[in-house]
Amino acid sequence: MKVVGQELPRVEILEKVTGQSVFGADVSPAGRVLHGKMVRSPHPHARITAVRTEGAERLPGVRAVVTAADLPPVHYGNFVRDEEYFARTKVRYVGDRIAAVAAVDEETAEEAARLIEVDYQVLPAVTSGPEAMAPEAPVIHEDHADYWAQPSVENRRGNVCGHKQIMRGDPERGFAEADRIFEHRFHVPMVHQTYIEPHTVLAQFDASGKATVWVPTQAQFPLRAAIAQILRMPMTKVRVIPTEIGGGFGGKISPTIEPAAVALARKARQPVRIVMTRGEDFQGSNPRHPFHLRYKTGVRLDGTITAREIELVLGTGYSAGSGVMISQGAAVRAPGPYRIPNLRIDSYCVYTNTPTCGAYRGPAGPQLTFASESQIDIIARELGIDPVEMRLRNAFEDGDETPAGARLEDVHARETLRKAADVMNERPRPAGENIGRGLAVAHWLVGGMASSAGVKLNEDGTIGILTGVVDLSGASTSLAQIAAEVLGVSLDDVHVRTADTDFAPHSTISAGSQALKSMGSAVLLAAREVKRQIQQVAADKLEADLGDLELDDNKVFVKGSPERAVSLREVGHLALEHERGPIVSTQSVSRLVPHPAVAAHAAEVAVDPETGHVRILRYVAVQDVGTAVNPLSVRGQIEGGVMQGLGQALSEACTFTDGKMDNPNLLDYKIFSALDAPAVETHLIQHPCASGPLGAKGVGEPPIIPPPAVIANAVADAVGVRIHDLPITPEKIVRALKARRQP
Amino acid sequence: MTAEPIRITVTVNGESFREEVPATRSLLDFLRDDLGLTGTKEGCSEGECGACAVILDGRLVDACLIFAAEADGRSVETVEGLADGEELHPLQRTFAAAGAAQCGYCTPGMLMACKSLLDRNPSPTREEVTHGIAGNLCRCTGYGTIIQAVMEAAKES
Ligand code: FES
Ligand code: FES
Repeated sequence: MKVVGQELPRVEILEKVTGQSVFGADVSPAGRVLHGKMVRSPHPHARITAVRTEGAERLPGVRAVVTAADLPPVHYGNFVRDEEYFARTKVRYVGDRIAAVAAVDEETAEEAARLIEVDYQVLPAVTSGPEAMAPEAPVIHEDHADYWAQPSVENRRGNVCGHKQIMRGDPERGFAEADRIFEHRFHVPMVHQTYIEPHTVLAQFDASGKATVWVPTQAQFPLRAAIAQILRMPMTKVRVIPTEIGGGFGGKISPTIEPAAVALARKARQPVRIVMTRGEDFQGSNPRHPFHLRYKTGVRLDGTITAREIELVLGTGYSAGSGVMISQGAAVRAPGPYRIPNLRIDSYCVYTNTPTCGAYRGPAGPQLTFASESQIDIIARELGIDPVEMRLRNAFEDGDETPAGARLEDVHARETLRKAADVMNERPRPAGENIGRGLAVAHWLVGGMASSAGVKLNEDGTIGILTGVVDLSGASTSLAQIAAEVLGVSLDDVHVRTADTDFAPHSTISAGSQALKSMGSAVLLAAREVKRQIQQVAADKLEADLGDLELDDNKVFVKGSPERAVSLREVGHLALEHERGPIVSTQSVSRLVPHPAVAAHAAEVAVDPETGHVRILRYVAVQDVGTAVNPLSVRGQIEGGVMQGLGQALSEACTFTDGKMDNPNLLDYKIFSALDAPAVETHLIQHPCASGPLGAKGVGEPPIIPPPAVIANAVADAVGVRIHDLPITPEKIVRALKARRQP
Repeated sequence: MTAEPIRITVTVNGESFREEVPATRSLLDFLRDDLGLTGTKEGCSEGECGACAVILDGRLVDACLIFAAEADGRSVETVEGLADGEELHPLQRTFAAAGAAQCGYCTPGMLMACKSLLDRNPSPTREEVTHGIAGNLCRCTGYGTIIQAVMEAAKES
């Protein structure tokens, strides 16, 4: 392949390095833009007895105030319709939306927000999943039996808004056959995506009643549907224009401030911009689910796993959001990339008085893998087996099934795992005490979503691609590479445009590592059809058989006689005179076969037993990526994912006191800076994957998944203490070392 | 409530601007809202992310923490002034080639931090580059490609 597989800079890179990219807050429409501000609940759980807006409305410079009274009584949600946009009777987390204001400047908007008076009757709150499941826990949604829910959402009761159970084989017998049984509990707190661009939106309402919404979103089509549903507008009266997006990682999928901005713009008859402060973003968006996990595993003395019993409690926050879907997916991936004949998995999705969690990159992955891979390590050490050997013994292979019964193909788990171990072992362990190595392996299942894309030949012989997918991590470049490959042109000859919801053909959201798979498959089909049309026109011109024509170097030529050729530019012109007309094709895909994508990571760390400080000496990331369409962006995604995962391993956690987040700022919520970041030794395992476009696999999610487990295992190897509760902070290590020294 | 506006003269990327601004206006808002130079980004407004980094009289500063009035009579460099017409700055070229910009949101501030470093220290060690960008958070790249881009730009000039 000529273009696919090349390390090419992103197609939009020049705008990015010159400051010309237009991100959410950079959009400037005609007309004076008002400043919007949300009014949010200071209480995690309270009944609303009165909301008074008169003071704010009377303030000079205020143009609109909206509350629940301005919105239709709509309950929304993709899985359970348990959410109201503005709280009407109750607030359920600190940050819950009460009202929004729009004013001529920021100071006035802030003042107006302060002038909105709300009377509360404070209720007891609960912020952890297991506490919320207790019989005496305060009930967060009293009417929740009345809410509409998808049929797949089972066993709703109390604060449990979904319980998925998976049984495979005979767990009782599996445990009876085991030589040893291990049981451990783990806890992973909430963490936040912490994209550097906070949530922002600009909304405008025109005389025909149409709303235009500029927003950095990963999911323009679902967002359009959600805004229309919440405001009860015809869907196509909402036009969502996705801007350049300053990071999303799953945090820019669900609606946050967009409906408020539209409601304000409608009432004020002026464009309204809302920009979340960093603190608001931490508390009013969709972070990663906190998990409590119990893993019980039966093994033979040779390391073969005979059974696993797993209980997962996921705190979804004040609404089900995507939590029920994620808890169902978590049940399927919980046993890890292993062949385990007997399983019992219970996954509970539980309401808590916290923000509703969302689909942070690799949803549920780091939590499950931290627990599962920590335990595999503990077991291997107890049995005196090499941890890599134990994993290889149980690793799943082509033809094995997921716990949900789906057959797996293109697995490569063993090769990926071995490679990570080999790369780490290439260099000897440095001499010295308190140095350790750890490894973990994880998988992600890459699905596919309904998608379409248009490809056309321009009259100058260049190629245009029209999509509706937001370019989050280089998708546009990869799509251009796929089209360039099929049509025999260079990347410079391909123009990609993400159009908005009014004009783009329906496209997938940019999430779950499946954007390239879905959109790439649609572009591949469309490019192949454009190729056929080009051949049709060229065949007439060259008086040759369509089947004998090849495309390369921007021309069409007869196989074996390259001098009988016509340029794509000429074909572009000829087509307009030809009976077939302009060359263009739009193709669609849906329901693509899921494939597994495996990542195996290994780390070497040095732990200071006095301070508990963990220094990462080496970090190896190996990933099974199918065909790497653009190795530059594949490596980039892997390294970025590793760093986010390491943040979760060592420093990141949203912590709460009395329902209020303690650390909603970048000083106290510590993501990795350049000083913390180790160099990543990245290796790609490349075998074309049958269900991906030109063999490509999804890449984005897997790299964020192993790091917490890898670091836990490396720390255990270095100093002999096992941390079951993320993040692995110096204090926890010091405390564990002290506890061990005590008789 | 809004403070008395004051008149300032600021040189931005070599061009002189005379504007009236409220005393509390940040340099960041001044650049973005008054001058329309939206290349400089806001990530936190609290001096913790570096997305807003610009060079003020040769020194790297967070534009969100500085009042526009403090820039009176001084000279500001932003990402928009990095390229010399069509000619990209070496850092812009190496950032592009190395894949040092993914979402690109941290990039303007990151570029200014790197420029400020290279202005002071034209051939830095990896360690020095790491310290030079320590105040600029990037959530996409993992920093490795950024460091590599700076090392390559240093080699070039
Ligand atoms: S916006 Fe200035 S440091 Fe974050
Ligand atoms: S490239 Fe996205 S934050 Fe740095």
